[in-house]
Amino acid sequence: MAPVLEFENVTKEYRSFPRRRLRALDSFTLRVEAGEIFGFLGANGAGKSTAIHLAMGFMRPTHGSGRLLAEKFGNVRVRRRVGFLAENVALYHRRAERLVRFYGALNGMAGSHLARRAHDVLALVGLQDDLKRNVGRFSRGMLQRVGLAQALVNDPELLILDEPTSALDPLARVVVRQLLLEAREAGKAIFLSSHLLSEVELVCDRVAVLHQGKLVRLGKTSDLLQSSERSEIVAKGIGVESFAGAVPRNGVISFSVPTAAQRGAMEQVWRLGGEIVRVNPVKRSLEDIFMEVTAAPAKTAPERAS
Amino acid sequence: MKSVLLIAVNFAREQRWPIFILLLWVLLLAFLGLVTDIRRNREDLLLLFKYVAVYAVVFSIFFGGSAIYNERRSRRIVSVLSKAVGRQQYLSGLVLGVALACTVYCFALGMTGSWTLGEAGFPVSRVWFLMLCLVAACTLAGTIALTFSTFLNPFFAAGATALVLGMPALATHVLGPRWAYSIPVWQLALTVIQTSFEAPGRAAWLPVAWAFAETVAFWLLSARIFAFVDIAVAVE
Repeated sequence: MAPVLEFENVTKEYRSFPRRRLRALDSFTLRVEAGEIFGFLGANGAGKSTAIHLAMGFMRPTHGSGRLLAEKFGNVRVRRRVGFLAENVALYHRRAERLVRFYGALNGMAGSHLARRAHDVLALVGLQDDLKRNVGRFSRGMLQRVGLAQALVNDPELLILDEPTSALDPLARVVVRQLLLEAREAGKAIFLSSHLLSEVELVCDRVAVLHQGKLVRLGKTSDLLQSSERSEIVAKGIGVESFAGAVPRNGVISFSVPTAAQRGAMEQVWRLGGEIVRVNPVKRSLEDIFMEVTAAPAKTAPERAS
Repeated sequence: MKSVLLIAVNFAREQRWPIFILLLWVLLLAFLGLVTDIRRNREDLLLLFKYVAVYAVVFSIFFGGSAIYNERRSRRIVSVLSKAVGRQQYLSGLVLGVALACTVYCFALGMTGSWTLGEAGFPVSRVWFLMLCLVAACTLAGTIALTFSTFLNPFFAAGATALVLGMPALATHVLGPRWAYSIPVWQLALTVIQTSFEAPGRAAWLPVAWAFAETVAFWLLSARIFAFVDIAVAVE
């Protein structure tokens, strides 16, 4: 099956007077498959929005090429099958329902189908009581929800979301998370750029980390979060002073050791008369990974999770 | 085509306050028509009519010159171009939007003019011909400004447009009267300005048709340029 979104060795340089060049994206290659939620991470200025804008055809790559739903970037017709929410969403000041209908009509929708769909997607994002209100009077969180509704109105095969939950309260975030999971269940692909690492960790099947325009990490979220470098050992029947950094919890103690020293630590527990309850690889958070990769200078080839 | 119409109507809607301010001038003309002796003050009314008409050309330059810039600055362009809307369609919508905004204004001015000036003895058919000249001039001026605004900021675009529109006037003096038609905005504005009760003038269709033809040419040129422009909302 062809990827829904594909970057092939894409480089984007911004040129400004006089002869100044900024390389926002550097030999960037990535494939997003159908039916997955793909997390796209990176610090401010890493090149995430540039990549998204290239995919949407708002700009042209300096080198390389890419495809969106098997069509070259910039294809107009293919955008009927794509839903897009920009970072810091900006919308015309109209009644919410009319606005969503306007965007739906731009995608070729019409009539009662469009009216019903606009009503449904606004209800889906929790704005069923604000259909007739002008979005100019909406809070930032509500605007973001309208933005999400306009992205969903055409029932897209691919959703490209740039910071979709940054202005939402925790309750609305749960709603959006559920919505994304349901969209994946329905076979849709979601390309999610976000700084909310905990959200990404919860919903994304795969994650890519961009740093200084280069792809520095790519892999399944579960694989990335699993560390092969340290193991956590939970034991009982021994004192907390037996191991440096051990923490007592509900009658057991837990401590972590380098994976290479795991066997020795277990034997030490047994020698002390204790019992091993469990041994697990230490689970890292995306935040740990993010801090790790963004602190280092970007390498040329991405490190891939197993 | 539907997308183009939607963008055009949306553009005119977004310009409702400048249009409203322009319409206040029309209201002033109507007010003067109501409170003054139209026949005695007919020259003053015609002078005001001409002024109010020429304002529309100036406003159309600002409508056209600032359209893309405003949309990019507000980032609303992204939400439109993320739909199944091509850049050429988007620009067509803006050109049509400028024409629509000017048509609304010219229609209101035509209605008021045909009442006040008609009462004073000016041929009503001539009023509507002048309004057609005005719509053609505004649409062309707005489209030229839009073309410049695809690669210049709105102030430079307005300046460049003023320069282009003024060139035929200069060329007429230096090279001959034929050059007045090279970019007929000046010629069409003169048609409105030089009209009088004594000599309302004839309906000359050539500059009107030529203005619409040039509008299409500038629209194609702007679409060609805009196709290569990065709509980079913010450089990261």
